[in-house]
Amino acid sequence: MDIGTVMNTMRDPAGVPAHPVLFQGLMILTWVFHIAFVHLTMGAAALAIYAFHRRDKGEYWERLSMALTKVAKVGVSLLIVLGVAPLLFTQVIYDPQWYASNVLSGRWAIGFIFTLIIGYCCWFTFYYANHEGAKKHAGVYAWIALALFFLDGLIMHALSYQALLPDQWMNWYAPGGIVDTSGSALHAIQWPRYIFIMSLSLPAVGVFLIAYAHYFASRADREQEYQAFARALGQRLATWGFGVSLVPMLVWQFIQPSASGLMLHPVGWLLVAALAAMLVWMKRLTAATHGYLPVLGGLGVLAVLALWREVVRVAHLKPFGYDITTYTVHVDWPSTLLFFSTFVGVGGLVGGFYLTLLYRSGRVQGLYTAERSVARLGTAAVAILVIWIAVFLAYGITIWVRNSFV
Amino acid sequence: MDMLGMYPTFYVPGIGTAWVMGIIGVIHVVASHTSVGASFLFALLETKAYREDKPQLMDFIKKYGMFLLVFSYIIGSITGPGIWYAITVASPRGVGGLIHNFVWVWAAEWVYFTVEVIGVYALVYLIGKVDAKTHLKLTWSFALASWATMLLIVGILSFMMWPGNEAWYQTGSTNDAFYNLNFFAHLGTRTGSMVAMAAVVGLMVASRLKDMALRRSVVKFLAPIGLVGGLFAVMMFLYYLQTLPNNAVVMLNTHLLPVYARGMVAVFVTATLYLVFAWWKPHRLYTSLTVAMFAFISIVGVWPEERMRESMRKPYVAGQYIYGNQVIARDVPGKGIVGEVDKIAEHGLLKLHPFVPDRLRVINDSNRLEVGRLLTKVACANCHSLEPGTPLRNIPDKFHGATDEDLIAAFMQGPLKHGTQPYMPRIDLPDEEVRAIAHFLATVNSGKDVDHLIAEQQKLATKVAAK
Repeated sequence: MDIGTVMNTMRDPAGVPAHPVLFQGLMILTWVFHIAFVHLTMGAAALAIYAFHRRDKGEYWERLSMALTKVAKVGVSLLIVLGVAPLLFTQVIYDPQWYASNVLSGRWAIGFIFTLIIGYCCWFTFYYANHEGAKKHAGVYAWIALALFFLDGLIMHALSYQALLPDQWMNWYAPGGIVDTSGSALHAIQWPRYIFIMSLSLPAVGVFLIAYAHYFASRADREQEYQAFARALGQRLATWGFGVSLVPMLVWQFIQPSASGLMLHPVGWLLVAALAAMLVWMKRLTAATHGYLPVLGGLGVLAVLALWREVVRVAHLKPFGYDITTYTVHVDWPSTLLFFSTFVGVGGLVGGFYLTLLYRSGRVQGLYTAERSVARLGTAAVAILVIWIAVFLAYGITIWVRNSFV
Repeated sequence: MDMLGMYPTFYVPGIGTAWVMGIIGVIHVVASHTSVGASFLFALLETKAYREDKPQLMDFIKKYGMFLLVFSYIIGSITGPGIWYAITVASPRGVGGLIHNFVWVWAAEWVYFTVEVIGVYALVYLIGKVDAKTHLKLTWSFALASWATMLLIVGILSFMMWPGNEAWYQTGSTNDAFYNLNFFAHLGTRTGSMVAMAAVVGLMVASRLKDMALRRSVVKFLAPIGLVGGLFAVMMFLYYLQTLPNNAVVMLNTHLLPVYARGMVAVFVTATLYLVFAWWKPHRLYTSLTVAMFAFISIVGVWPEERMRESMRKPYVAGQYIYGNQVIARDVPGKGIVGEVDKIAEHGLLKLHPFVPDRLRVINDSNRLEVGRLLTKVACANCHSLEPGTPLRNIPDKFHGATDEDLIAAFMQGPLKHGTQPYMPRIDLPDEEVRAIAHFLATVNSGKDVDHLIAEQQKLATKVAAK
C-alpha cells in the first residue's frame, strides 16, 4: 500500500477543531519554551555535577553546585509540563506519524516514563545530599540522573525522527515480512541532530548564569565576587557552547537528504548564522550589557531551531503527499474560546502573579511585603479562578440538563 | 484500494498494554488526587493559621508542602504524560479520537498545569518570605487551580465511558461530549476521594509532629474533613453507577463487583474507622500505621476503582464509538465519522489493514497459524492476553482450553459476529479469517509451542520460495 495514502487515512476521522496552521504555530511556539527548559536543566545538571567535584578548588564551586542542583530540580518539573503542549499539538496535526513511531518503539515509549521517574528521584536524592561538606558518593546519584536524562532525550529524539521516515515503518514492523509487535527497538537515530540539540545545553546554562548574576546584583547580602564568578563562568560557557554547537549543526545541515532541498534551505543557514552571531556576541560581551539580554538572544536561537525542525518535518513528509492544511476541519468555537480565555485569563493573571511574586521577593533581602499592584494582582488571580470555575460549572449544568433531561 | 486508518500493534505478553496503562494510571491517580486534595487542606490550614494567629501551623504547612511538592511533582507530573504515552501505544486511535475532540480542553488544562508547577514551588519556597496575606492568596489560587485541572480532565474521562445521549453524535460539539451524562457524578466521586486521601496524607505528616498540642489541633481539623470527603465520594459513586450504560452495568455485575466489591467496602470501612480513631485519639497516631493505611487505600481502593472504570467501558475506549481493538464502531454524523465494522465484515482485516505484510494477506496452509496470531493480536489483544494463565482475561482460559477449532469458530460466528455480548465488540470477519484465528487459539490451547511452529513454517515457506 502507498504509505502516503496510508498516512492520510490514519488521520483521525474526527478532523481538527480549528485551522491546522493554528496548531502548527502553537506547536512551534510552545516547543521553544519546552526545549529552553530541557537545555537549562541538562546544562545546570551537568555543571552542578562538575562544580560538585570541584568543591575543593574553592567555595564558589560548592555554592554554585548547590544552586544549580536546585535549578535542575525545578527545571525538570517545568520541562515536563511545558512539553505537554507541543506534544498535544503534534498529536493533532501529525497524529499518524507520532503514533506510528511510538507504537513501533512501544517499550521505549513506556520506558521513557519509568527512566524519567528514576532519574528525577535520583536527582532529588542528590539535591537533598548536596549541601556544605556533602560526601563524595552523593555525586553517584547525580551521574545516574544525568545519564537517564540523556537517555530520555535520546528516546524522544528517536520517536520524533522515526516519525519522519514513514517509508521505513513497514520494514521496522515486519522485517522480511515477519511481524514484530514487541516494540523493543529504537529504529532510527540521527546522531548529529541529537548531539546538536543536546549541545545547546552548554550555552543555555551559560546565558542563565549571566542572568543569575544580574538578578542577585541588587541584593546587598549576596557576595559581589561570587556574582562576578558566576557571570564570568557563564560568559565562558556561552561562548564555548555556541561555538561547540556549530559543529554538529553543520554536520546535520550537510547530511540532510539531497532531494529535500534542506541542505541549502535559508532557515537552516539562519540557524547557523544565529549560533555564530551569539558566539561573537558572547565573546565580546561587556559588563555594561544587561544580564537578561543573552537569555533573550538564546530564546531567539531556539525559536529559529523550532521553526527549522518544522521545516525539516514538512520537507520529509511532503514527498509522501502529507500536508497538514488538507486535514478536515470542524471548527469548535466554544472549546477554542475556552483555551484562549484560559490562556489569557488564568495564564496571565495567575501565572503572572506567581512569577511576579517569585521575581520580586527574590530580589529583596528578608520579608517581602507585596506592593499595592502585586497585592491587587493576587486578588485578581483568586477572583479570576472563582469566576472561571463558576462559569465552567454553570455553563456545564446548562448543557448537561439540556442534553440529559430536556 | 480501500483501507482502514489502523496502526501497527504493540503487544506486551501476559499483561497486555492495558495493565501497563493501569499501573501508570493508578500511580498517577494516587499522586494527583493526593496533591489536589492536599492543596485545599493546605489552604484551609493556612487560613486557620492566619485568622487564629498560629504561626506554628505554618511549620506544619511547610513540612506538608515539601511532601506535597515531592510526592505530586515527581510522580504526578511524570505519570500524567505517562498515561498519554501508555494509551498512545495501547490505543493510538482511541487517544487520537480523544485528542481531536478535546484538544482545546487539554490545552486549557495545560495552562493550569503550568501555573500549578510554578505555583507549587512559589507556595513552598515563599513561606516566611512574603507577607502572610499575599501568601494566603497564593495558596488559595493554587488550590483552585489544582481543582480546575480535575474539572477539565473528568469531562474527558467520563466521555470515554459514554456521552450518555445522542447529542454529541449528531452535533460533534465538544460541549456535548464534555458535559456528558456522568460528568457530575464522576466529578463528585473524584473530588470526595481526593479530600479523603489528602486527609490521610495529612495525618501521615501530622504523625511526625512532636508538639502534641499542635498535632491534636491539626488532626482534629483534618479527620472530619476526610470523613466528609469519603462519605461524599461513596454517595457520588453510587450515583455514578446509575449513570452508566448497559454494557458497563452488565460488566460490573457479572465480572467486576464479584471480584472487587469486598475490597472496596473494606477500604471504606477501614479508612472511616481509622479517621474516627485519629479524631478521637490524635496522640495515638503512628506514622507506620498511617503509611500502611495510605498504601491500603492506594492498592485495595484505587487499583480496583481504576480497573473497574477501564473495564466497564469495554468494548469501547472512547465515547462508545471506538472499540478497544481500534475499529470505529459506529457513525458519528456530527464529525463525519463512518463506522468500519461492516466494511471489515465485507473485506476482512487482512485486506483493509495497512500494516499487514503482503505474504500474510492471503491465507494458505503454510501461514494460517501466523495469520491467526496476527489477527488475534489486532482484533483481541487490546483487552486480552494470548498466553494461558496470564492475568489480562487471557483468551485460552476464556475458551477453557478448547482445542476444537469449530467450537471456537462457532463462538466467533455467533455472539461475536452479531455483537450480542454486551461487553465485547462486534467482530464480524470473513470465514477464512475466523478459521485462522480459531486455528491459532486451538493450537495454543493444545499446548504446542506456537512460536516454534510458526518459525518452522516461515523457514519452510522461505525454502519453497527460493526453489
